[in-house]
Amino acid sequence: MNLRNIQTVRMIMLVGLAAASLTLMAGCSNNGTAGKPTAKKAAKPAAIWPLAVQDPAKNETGAQIWSENCLRCHQLRSPSQYTPAQWGVIVQYMRLKAGLTGEQARKVLAFLKSASAH
Amino acid sequence: MRKRITLPILLAAAMAATAVGSVRAADSSNYQQLQKKYSTLKVQMQAMQKQMAQMQKQMAAQQKQMKAVQQAAPSINERATRRAIKRLSRQVMKLSEKEAALEPGNIQVLIAGDVNVQFQNKSGGNSTFYADSSPMIQVRIDKNIFVNTAFDFYTASGQAGGSAADIGAANINYELGDYMTVGGGLITSPIGGIVGNYNPAPWNRWLVDGSLEDNLLPPNELGIWTRGGIPAPGNLGYLTYFLFVSNGPEFIGTSGVPNQLSYDNFTATQNAKTVGGRISYLPIPNVEIGYSAEWASPTQSGALTKSDSWIQAVDFNSYYFNKKIEGFVKFRGGWTWEQVGQGGITPGNPTTPPALGNMSNGGQIDVAYQPSMCGIKYLDKMMVAFRYDRTDGPVTGVQTPGAMHEQRYSVGLDYWLHSNAVLKFEYEFDNVPDQHGSDAMFMQFAVGI
Ligand code: HEC
Repeated sequence: MNLRNIQTVRMIMLVGLAAASLTLMAGCSNNGTAGKPTAKKAAKPAAIWPLAVQDPAKNETGAQIWSENCLRCHQLRSPSQYTPAQWGVIVQYMRLKAGLTGEQARKVLAFLKSASAH
Repeated sequence: MRKRITLPILLAAAMAATAVGSVRAADSSNYQQLQKKYSTLKVQMQAMQKQMAQMQKQMAAQQKQMKAVQQAAPSINERATRRAIKRLSRQVMKLSEKEAALEPGNIQVLIAGDVNVQFQNKSGGNSTFYADSSPMIQVRIDKNIFVNTAFDFYTASGQAGGSAADIGAANINYELGDYMTVGGGLITSPIGGIVGNYNPAPWNRWLVDGSLEDNLLPPNELGIWTRGGIPAPGNLGYLTYFLFVSNGPEFIGTSGVPNQLSYDNFTATQNAKTVGGRISYLPIPNVEIGYSAEWASPTQSGALTKSDSWIQAVDFNSYYFNKKIEGFVKFRGGWTWEQVGQGGITPGNPTTPPALGNMSNGGQIDVAYQPSMCGIKYLDKMMVAFRYDRTDGPVTGVQTPGAMHEQRYSVGLDYWLHSNAVLKFEYEFDNVPDQHGSDAMFMQFAVGI
């Protein structure tokens, strides 16, 4: 590619990506004002994380630990994606990756196992 | 004659008298019976009235009770449900713990990893397709022992072509309790946080190309370690730690003149070891701030050159997931400083002392937004990502591969078909001084297994 081509490609890219980002934002704010709660929308968790200090002493449930911690590094994988036995392996690995305490890991595993089986 | 008349009259009178008498007798017995019936009926009625009154009383009492029960019902139900849930979750915990304490022979194996197919077009170079498969065999030996082996099979990019295989992980981990795991083997390095936490798997990255900061960071550590998570003092969030001792890095370069540090530390010369680790603090689950450092005494096989090197890095990771923004925003970033000290030469070795004593540094800021809650088909699966990254390396002397003066802006558009399958498109604006035009375009289809 010569210099002129590169500059043209850069321009196209910038315009394209700006347009894509705007569409994303606009699409969503439109939806927000229209406020039509679709079934799909209702099915999703309206998760709001309190900006308070995390208190390890408070008795967090497995589902809470899962939804708060497992989103940090990657997209949340649905409990139904794996069998309870497979979750046993994964949580043992993710306890290491996520730096969970043993208790947190046991709670997450109990939640994932029961959610996977149903 | 009188006799004749008198008898019948007498008979008639007698009959009449008997008849009247019998009528009178019949009347009185009826009356008595009626009276008897009446009085029994009356008694019965009075009993019934009593019963009715009692029943009414009972009904009123029952209604009262029912009202009270109805009023109390929600709280009783709630409490009972909550208690039942607690009981159930305790049972589930117990069961899963029982299940976790596996019987001998009940080993659980999971094939995981990722596959990715990529197309890249770097200006000034040839465009190329690239494929990579990194299967992982993860094994839970029992509730305390976890073993991980990862391979990497890939087509070598560039004009040379071909394919290659590598090993990405081979480690054994033993849980020593709730707050500590010890392990050994080959593992992704925790230094810099970003590589260890997200990088090995393309399905959990937003952009295709690795960052310039990655080049400064050791990809792996081959050694022993201890790691875990503990509640922070005063219960103010959590702390995580990962401390290790591993084989030291090695100087590499042409004809015995070291000009690069290699962290592929599969062999250690001169007993040189790396000591390092990373600690991070999570005040809330969605904010993590990390600091990592490693000290090593790099050597060069054959030339026996010895020096010391320091890497320090800070990193942060956070996300905000809220309906107000119809989804989530994720921020990641980091900065790495790498210093290589003055080199020394083993007496009797003819190699010229290399020009060491220099500093490379670099870092990145990554932002991604996905309107996952907007409820609009296709749009909720799209993610826009942006990254700024740079490195500043020494012009001469020792530098890690890629550590030169370079800064880039990258923009990406991802479509998440699944939580673990993503189509990525990225354009990288590269600003390499005096070497204009190494912009690059990438497309990738990455799947996590
Ligand atoms: C510190 C970052 C981090 C956190 C936190 C994290 N993961 Fe992961 N996860 C990864 C990485 C990286 C991989 C890819 C495997 C690899 O490259 O080693 C992965 C892989 C996975 C996989 C794919 C299967 C496998 O075993 O490889 C699943 C499923 C998963 N994680 C679930 C979870 C769950 C559940 C949690 C919460 C308990 C979690 N993750 C928390 C980084 C993380």
